[in-house]
Amino acid sequence: MILFVIKRFALAVTTVFVVSVLVFLLVHAGDTTPGVVAVGIGGTQEQIEAYNEQIGWYDPLIVQYLAWLGSALTGDLGTSLTNGSDVLDEILRRFPVTASLAFGATVVSSVLGVVLGVTAAVRRGLADRLVSVFAGMGAAVPAFWLGIVLVFVFAVQSSLLPATGYVRFEDSPSGWFSSLVLPVLTLAIGGAAFIARQTRASMLEALGQEYIRTLRATAMPTWRILYVHALRSASLPIVASIALQFIALFGGSIIVEVLFALPGLGVAVQGAVGQADAPAVQGIVVVATLVVVVVNLLLELTNSFLDPKLRTS
Amino acid sequence: MSDTAAFPTRSSQRASRRPLQAPQALRTLLRSPLGMLGLAWLVVIVVASLTAPLWLPYPIEYQDFSAVLAGPSAAHLLGTDELGRDVLSRIFAAGAGSLITTFLAAVVAIGVALPLALIAAASSARIETIINRVTEIAMSIPALVIIIAVIGAVGTNLYLVMTCLGLLIAGGIYRVFVGQAKSLQSQLYVDAAEVDGLRPAMVSIRHILPNMATTIFVQFVLVFAIGLMLQAGLAFIGFGPQPPEPSWGGLIQSASKQIYVHPWLMVPTGLVLVFTVLGANAVADTLAGGQGAPPSQVALGPEARRRRRELKAAAPVAVESAPEGMLIVKGLTIGVDDGPELVSSVSFEVAPGTVLGVVGESGCGKTLTALSLVGLLPPGVNPREGSIRWGARDLARLDESGLAAIRGREIGFVGQEPMRALDPMFTIGYQLAGAVRRLRGVGKADARAEAASLLGKVGIVDAERVLRSYPHQISGGMAQRVAIALALAGRPKLLIADEPTTALDVTVQAEILSLLRGLVAETGMSMVMVTHDFGVVADICDEVVVMYAGQVIESGTVHDVLGAAEHPYTTALLAADPHAGLGVVGQERLASIPGQVPQPRDWPTGCRFADRCAFAQPQCVVPVPLIARDRGDGGVRCVRVHELQLGRLDDPVPLDAATPVDGGADPTAPTTAAAPARNGKVRS
Repeated sequence: MILFVIKRFALAVTTVFVVSVLVFLLVHAGDTTPGVVAVGIGGTQEQIEAYNEQIGWYDPLIVQYLAWLGSALTGDLGTSLTNGSDVLDEILRRFPVTASLAFGATVVSSVLGVVLGVTAAVRRGLADRLVSVFAGMGAAVPAFWLGIVLVFVFAVQSSLLPATGYVRFEDSPSGWFSSLVLPVLTLAIGGAAFIARQTRASMLEALGQEYIRTLRATAMPTWRILYVHALRSASLPIVASIALQFIALFGGSIIVEVLFALPGLGVAVQGAVGQADAPAVQGIVVVATLVVVVVNLLLELTNSFLDPKLRTS
Repeated sequence: MSDTAAFPTRSSQRASRRPLQAPQALRTLLRSPLGMLGLAWLVVIVVASLTAPLWLPYPIEYQDFSAVLAGPSAAHLLGTDELGRDVLSRIFAAGAGSLITTFLAAVVAIGVALPLALIAAASSARIETIINRVTEIAMSIPALVIIIAVIGAVGTNLYLVMTCLGLLIAGGIYRVFVGQAKSLQSQLYVDAAEVDGLRPAMVSIRHILPNMATTIFVQFVLVFAIGLMLQAGLAFIGFGPQPPEPSWGGLIQSASKQIYVHPWLMVPTGLVLVFTVLGANAVADTLAGGQGAPPSQVALGPEARRRRRELKAAAPVAVESAPEGMLIVKGLTIGVDDGPELVSSVSFEVAPGTVLGVVGESGCGKTLTALSLVGLLPPGVNPREGSIRWGARDLARLDESGLAAIRGREIGFVGQEPMRALDPMFTIGYQLAGAVRRLRGVGKADARAEAASLLGKVGIVDAERVLRSYPHQISGGMAQRVAIALALAGRPKLLIADEPTTALDVTVQAEILSLLRGLVAETGMSMVMVTHDFGVVADICDEVVVMYAGQVIESGTVHDVLGAAEHPYTTALLAADPHAGLGVVGQERLASIPGQVPQPRDWPTGCRFADRCAFAQPQCVVPVPLIARDRGDGGVRCVRVHELQLGRLDDPVPLDAATPVDGGADPTAPTTAAAPARNGKVRS
């Protein structure tokens, strides 16, 4: 078990490291040098050169990477080329928006997915067919299109909810909540479809096992067979599928933040890429990867704790 | 439920879980309306997009100022956008670029994942581990974020962007491929090819790759669907083909700006995208259809309701009650609902304190008969006629709650596969103490103590350790002892044991048999023992029924049936049993019965064994009743029984020679009868 934890941890660290190298190389592969961005339109070639020289842009890549890594580990992700703000401060300022969105979407998609999947597996018949239609549609409808449809129905047609914008929790909890309903739903439907499918399959797999017969032979009530034993055995693949869909969540949140004009990390990375703001791109991508990897590590450890075979090894 | 799936044999469950072979997959696709619809849509979209320049009604930049933001009309079938451009033309003009670059992503993903999977499956564990780690890293990277960084570096070069996507998705595809490649690699014929000196690369290409064709295609289609959505998403946030060049995501993006004035604009492009992804998923789902779950052990939803309705609607049949502790099965017929009959008119009795053996080849209905005695038939398989009388009740007509009151408390059940009979997620203590609490209504602490004492009773010395263990931490023999303890938890008067020793090692088989023999002697319970091994019958049973193709074909005391078998099938089975040559003296080679047990839908109206019988004659085509034995009590289902007199062919070997002299419960005493149990199986 301890060995397993160490291995997973090492893999997580490696993943973040690989991404940081990758994004570093990508930033350097572009045609636009930081000088061009920082000096802005109308700057002379000399000014640009001077800026690049000053930040060490012409040093060997390995030197530059180690310098970035060194300051990143001490919490310094550099300053934005476009507005001179501290990248880490900017990330921390925007983090609550993306975190609310991602957390909300994970909770909604997990609860909805598990409830629908279990219902489909247990009730079969019509419920099963309806859930499989939902799972099929949910997997095929792109989040951005679904989001616009939701806006049309709930904001344009009925104005029950705001179409776009974000209200900070500190300013108005209810405003915060209603500003998040549509984005969270938009982001959660695809994940819910995926988790529902996995849950249904795992429940049916569990219910086909021979130990279910033993449970019946010892007069275990059917509801306990379904909701204690089969669900317990299905919990491993369900948690694994929640972890998998969380990886895709940050990517999805970029689209949803742009669509609903939420001032989160996704919009920031979209803007930073569009403006070739190298330090911001590097910083946001690495921090986002770090969060995804940490959450995944936690879910994986949860799963290994749920699995008696791993736990007792 | 199809005929074959209704058979609760393990082999059919496994067979249904293999991925479909390519020709079979194609047939499945052709037969599935949804799959064909998806395929047809994909073909239409691809062909229409690729040939778009030839047929588009308007150039993509043509602006019809008389119809800005118009709905569908004869001139513009799907309406026009804010600049009066024809939506239909723009959708299909955008299609080719999206489809070709997405195709590229799928090719890259498969092209990277497949060789990696083949290499991982064919090479040493170390290389496989390395590949696994690398792909795990690729899988835990948020793909869209990296792709946006790539776009930042190289601009919106879709070919490059979609190649990156292919690389990032490859990790997940690899996981699917490597599982299948490894299971194929472990197949015997692959080993054989390797022994024949075929180079590993050739083995992969010739023997493994063709068998993965369906999986590869399914994954290709799935990646295609993912790629299409992702590409549209990128275009939506401005990282796609730059305007005025149209793209699906871009079209939806500009439509979203008109949501207040002209929401219709969202519909055409959105639906084309949704239907294309749906179509791809439908094709993939249909092709992957072979990998369904095993049939459920619990009747669910409509199936459970239907059985309840049937039982309610059935006219109450007055059955006379059986004497206390006596099981009387009369004319029991079991069948698949709306399907074939699986067990035909079986009758037998089990007196208190006696052991009945049920013998036969695989697929003769032994296990189904046994399961019906505890109401544990798989969903969709139910008793049709006849009765199972136990006290005042008829178990064939009892509903789920009535059966639940009997299961464990009055009739216990032990299955074939001890390692699969226990829930791997819970400790043995939890499962056993839980059963004791349920079945005896005692408190938690008492139940725990009783669980420990039950384990002692089934011969487990360190009960406390076993109670704390999970099923995977104990051996098969130990697990079967635990399963027996579970069956005894409610102090049943009758124990149904379905081949309780088949899955165990030979020495462990003997121990479990002595344990069961001892328990019967000690507790006075009776037992129904299903087996294909006459050694087990000789060892432990008092009476025996021999089953063939769903019927009882011979019954009687163990002494009579084993000592002087009268049915040609029984004599053939005994001749095929390697130990002692109980029926036929002096033969040197083991006999085998030609042919195999017919499938239920192929059962003839006459004697079901006639096809394989050495003594078959024209008169065997008429239905045969059970005829009284030539010698002793019981019956034989053979029209020629009195004529053949098989029981008197040779001087039967005295039964005592084949059974252990001492019938005690000494687990260390090797029982000659039980030892060769595995070989006793006639059909391999």
